[in-house]
Amino acid sequence: MPEAASRPRTGATEPLEVEGTVREALPNALFRVELAAGTRTAVTAHVAGESSLLRLRPGDAVVVEIAPYDAGRGRIVRRR
Amino acid sequence: MSVQKSWSELQTMARACRIVVEALDVLEAAAVPGVSTKEMDRIAREHIERAGARPAFLGYRGYPATLCISVNEEVVHGIPGPRKLREGDIVGLDLGCIVDGFFGDAARTVAVGRAGEQAQRLMRVTRESLLAGIDACRPGKRVGDIGHAVQTHAEGQGYSVVREFVGHGIGTSLHEEPQVPNYGPPGRRERLVPGMCLAIEPMVNVGGAEVEVLADGWTAITRDRSLSAHFELSVAVTPFGPWILSEPYPYEQAEAANA
Repeated sequence: MPEAASRPRTGATEPLEVEGTVREALPNALFRVELAAGTRTAVTAHVAGESSLLRLRPGDAVVVEIAPYDAGRGRIVRRR
Repeated sequence: MSVQKSWSELQTMARACRIVVEALDVLEAAAVPGVSTKEMDRIAREHIERAGARPAFLGYRGYPATLCISVNEEVVHGIPGPRKLREGDIVGLDLGCIVDGFFGDAARTVAVGRAGEQAQRLMRVTRESLLAGIDACRPGKRVGDIGHAVQTHAEGQGYSVVREFVGHGIGTSLHEEPQVPNYGPPGRRERLVPGMCLAIEPMVNVGGAEVEVLADGWTAITRDRSLSAHFELSVAVTPFGPWILSEPYPYEQAEAANA
């Protein structure tokens, strides 16, 4: 009787959305964002699409998507 | 890595595998037009219990029967029922039993009456793919070499190989580590060592490789409804090469020469 094949454990899955606060504006429209949850305290993040996000300033509250394969980088998807 | 079995454990495994293959012989003879799949299940159970073994599939993850019987476009895990076999059908018979806590597992696809040319060729190629996979069961080879041998043979004949279901280690449970896919690159996955027992079971389709599972939660069919065949044997890796556990130990002479 064949066994159902298990899905590979590695590889990209859905990005994880976490809340954070902008700490520092970096060159090239990158921002250092401090995360509210989890053990890692900060990621460098670029903004997703919306030009209103380009005017983010330190202290702004945002939501960041983090890809599972590089937890040090993220993508700011919206303000909160 | 899977558990390595001792010589006496392999003997018990061999007894279980022989009972399964004898039952498959009986079932193959019983697969005539008009017989129901439920009746085939009854024959399977009777044979296993008379041999002093227990059905391995009955109750496994809630499976409701002794036999898996998969007709034509059904790939594997078909549940016995009122359906009657018809002339020209090809029928996958998959059976397992337990002897003294050890499992035996084997399957073959047989024709009811006379099958068409395509069906006969599919069954022959699937069986050859199984034998190609078994031939790779040698110490120093890897699990990926088995799948590669199966895949290259089946696809070389223009058929496709099912991905969603895989062979498996076997021993004190039906499904043990490692999984044994019927495809993939050679030289990858677990290293084969003497004493490992693997159930190798290519599922080969005439059309595409994709399968879907019916609402009963078990029966797998080909998505394009093309014919599918399935052959399986349980094999032990020995220092001399593969031992198909339902057959006599083939290396007595090699061992004597080595001593």
